[in-house]
Amino acid sequence: MVAWIILAVLGLILVWLILVYNGLVTLRNDVQGSWKQIDVQLKRRHDLIPNLVATVKGAMEFEQDTLEKVISARSRAVLAPTPATKAEAENVLTQALGKLFAVMENYPALKSNQNVMQLQEELTSTENRISFARQLYNDLVANYRTKLQVFPNNIVSSMMNFRTEEYFGAEEADRATPAVDLSLRK
Amino acid sequence: MPLTFIDIERQKNWRIWVFFLFLMLLYFVIGVIFAAVVALLVLHVPLHDFPRFLLFLGMMALLVAGLHFWFSAYDAVNAVVRHLDAREPDRTDDIHKMFMNIMEEMHVVTGNRRKIRAVVIPSLSMNALAVADLKGEAVIGITEGLLSRLTRPQLETVIAHEAHHILSGDCLETTVASSLFGTFASTMEKFSDASSRGRASSTPASLLSSSLLQLSYLLNMFISREREYRADAAAVRMTRNPIALAETLYLLSRSWRGAGFIGSGFEMLCIVNPQATALDETEGFWADLLSTHPPLRKRMDILLAMAHTSIAELDAKADSRDKAKAAADARTGPQYYAMNPQQQWQGPFGLSELGALPWLSPLTWVTSGEKEPVVRAWKQPLINVIFAARPAGQPQEASNYNCPSCGQPLVVETYESTQVYECRYCAGTLVENSKIARIIARTDRERPCSDRINALARAAVNENQIRHTRQMLTGKKAPVTLLSCPKCKNPMSRGFYSLAHLIEVDRCSFCELTWFDRDELEMLQCLIENKIVPDLGL
Repeated sequence: MVAWIILAVLGLILVWLILVYNGLVTLRNDVQGSWKQIDVQLKRRHDLIPNLVATVKGAMEFEQDTLEKVISARSRAVLAPTPATKAEAENVLTQALGKLFAVMENYPALKSNQNVMQLQEELTSTENRISFARQLYNDLVANYRTKLQVFPNNIVSSMMNFRTEEYFGAEEADRATPAVDLSLRK
Repeated sequence: MPLTFIDIERQKNWRIWVFFLFLMLLYFVIGVIFAAVVALLVLHVPLHDFPRFLLFLGMMALLVAGLHFWFSAYDAVNAVVRHLDAREPDRTDDIHKMFMNIMEEMHVVTGNRRKIRAVVIPSLSMNALAVADLKGEAVIGITEGLLSRLTRPQLETVIAHEAHHILSGDCLETTVASSLFGTFASTMEKFSDASSRGRASSTPASLLSSSLLQLSYLLNMFISREREYRADAAAVRMTRNPIALAETLYLLSRSWRGAGFIGSGFEMLCIVNPQATALDETEGFWADLLSTHPPLRKRMDILLAMAHTSIAELDAKADSRDKAKAAADARTGPQYYAMNPQQQWQGPFGLSELGALPWLSPLTWVTSGEKEPVVRAWKQPLINVIFAARPAGQPQEASNYNCPSCGQPLVVETYESTQVYECRYCAGTLVENSKIARIIARTDRERPCSDRINALARAAVNENQIRHTRQMLTGKKAPVTLLSCPKCKNPMSRGFYSLAHLIEVDRCSFCELTWFDRDELEMLQCLIENKIVPDLGL
């Protein structure tokens, strides 16, 4: 009789272990999937930038400096080896692009150029997608971390070697570089 | 566990079951009444058989209600899309392309859990709606009028609002509630419109459709206003731009609502109620129970209060150089943040810097810091001075009146050889009632109607005719307004210029003054000059 009860309890514990393990794996995959999504959007931005620069080059002769910054920030972001340096390089690129857009406001010829407007819309959309993908990633990481750390899940997760995932922080880099929107004040 | 934007806990859709029970009960009651009359009076069925008879009727009611429920709610998305004659966005059109891009962004933030279709409703009016059905399809529809008049950030907030309705599952409830009777009612309306050309309108079909509509309003009682606040909050969480949403709501409240020939019974699907009533703008138990949409004014207040966080973010972004400069400014005078036409906060500015901004207008949103309220620029006395000091082209005679929407002194203008008061900022016109007749009589002497004004007038009249007729039929009153009279400061009432000329104007009945928003006076003139009458395609 007692043996049966012990067996039943062990069985229940096993079922619980499986449920927790599967839940954690699902969440981890969600997190990794959403990280890929950020990559996709960043790639899209890298592809769009050369087009934009080529289109506006002629009209913006006096802004070579701004254009240079965008191009060099892009190549640094493309070549960045680790996620941490990548995040930093991407943030610099965001700032450089924002600066370029602000300066473009001063060129009426560009504002009436259909091609430029379309490219700008595509880039704005991509910027949004990057920040939304980041929002989703951070939300999912928060979910995953909570699931990982609450009792008694933390016992299972430490046994099964689940590692915690890092947030995608943007704040540090944002603080270090001048805010884009202020360029109108010159 | 924090809720991600996607994982808004799926609401228990118990209301859908309530709707189903309601429907069953309805058929049962109809069946019993009908059967009682036939069985007892005509067939003389003995009374002791009646319980069994009731059981049979109950089964029949269940079956019919089930069929009704399935057919109306299963394919509701396609039904609504067909009904509104909505189309897929045009890829070659820049603004439609922007709409599609924003929808794509939406799918990124929701992790692509649910595909939402985008459609454009061919109507000049301003509204947006979301529909979801039992088949699992979902669609966000936006009218051409809204698409063309909103900036990108504003459109983002509208789409985020609608997407939240779909993802949270409350859109499904609303769709089921409105399609149970709404679809039939509006089909019936169309049918009776087509069949009763020129004849009296009290056909059996129209009677039936209006009683179906009443049933649909009854279902409205289950739909809480809370969901609109929640969707607003979610939209802000995603776009981080509460002011853009507040601005959109303001625009919607001043313009013609109504998503084209949207049938009655669908209004709860829209972002603002197309047939707004005074009830929608009030609070309290009955209003909460009966109305599907909360007061716009309250929604705007909540959104404006949220704006502080975005200011804090802007502060965090400014680098140390700007901080130092700002600190120096702070010693010399107050600082302000202002929202530019792209709906982004800029600042901090000193007063002189603010004055130099080319895009600053009396209607720009400003705030003097994180803890301060967000208001229109003209409501801050210190900033308001800037507008008085600005050169206004040629010197014009300022009047004693201030613009009801911008708060700036109106200037005396000669219009059709008579004196009116114009706002230099929003291009609205204030006219004494006695002069309106004169202006109309002098139509076509100075200012011929342009094609643009003609087209606007035509569209406005068509939309307004439908609204007016509905208001007459349902006995609902017009919405309250947000403007107050320039002379006596009492609220102005917004209504049609006359029943023959369905252009909306704001009037003060005490001072006999009429306020025309931009283009409204010209529209009225064109209406009379070109004898434009509502064309409902009858």
